[in-house]
Amino acid sequence: MTQTSLDQLGPVDYVVVEFPVGQSNFTGEMADELVALTAAGTIRVIDILILTKDADGSVEATELSDVENLGPLQQLEAELAELLAEEDVVNLAAAMEPGSTAGVLIWENLWAAPFAAAARRSGGQLIADGRIPIQAIIAAIEADDDELIEGA
Amino acid sequence: MPLRPARVGRVGVIGHPVAKTAVVAAAVTPGPSPVAKTAVVAAAVTPGRRRRRI
Repeated sequence: MTQTSLDQLGPVDYVVVEFPVGQSNFTGEMADELVALTAAGTIRVIDILILTKDADGSVEATELSDVENLGPLQQLEAELAELLAEEDVVNLAAAMEPGSTAGVLIWENLWAAPFAAAARRSGGQLIADGRIPIQAIIAAIEADDDELIEGA
Repeated sequence: MPLRPARVGRVGVIGHPVAKTAVVAAAVTPGPSPVAKTAVVAAAVTPGRRRRRI
């Protein structure tokens, strides 16, 4: 990767989406949404792995290319960068419950790249970032409501 | 199925064991129905709306 392309790299995020035993309902909807986000230029999918954790805690990783009938994900699979290493599988699987299956998705936020590049060119340095859980927003609003009721 | 050889022996990018996020735990705790919570959040993030000052 050249210095120029590094300068233009958007933030890279990951999620581990767990599917407890008996609670998966794959209709292809997730794949369609992922492809749509990619096609729109919102994100670039960097890596995908499927992890399974046995009852004894042992973990098995499956490459997307080893999944039969990928459907719309076929076009994404061809572009994967295989960023994750073997040790990442162990670290990511630490969050999983025994007996569950999880999808790991790594993506670049293309939508944020121009702003991030502009911030860097302006001398800015990223010193913190994160995600506010919806539950935290709910809790804050409910606390507001409670105080309002108590103050009434 | 085994990982591709290219993934083996490389330095990882995650760096540490990942803990299950608290978001997941909170999502399954008893409380108002998910539909009601969704409405609350939607109202909270509506453009132009500011949190009340108590």
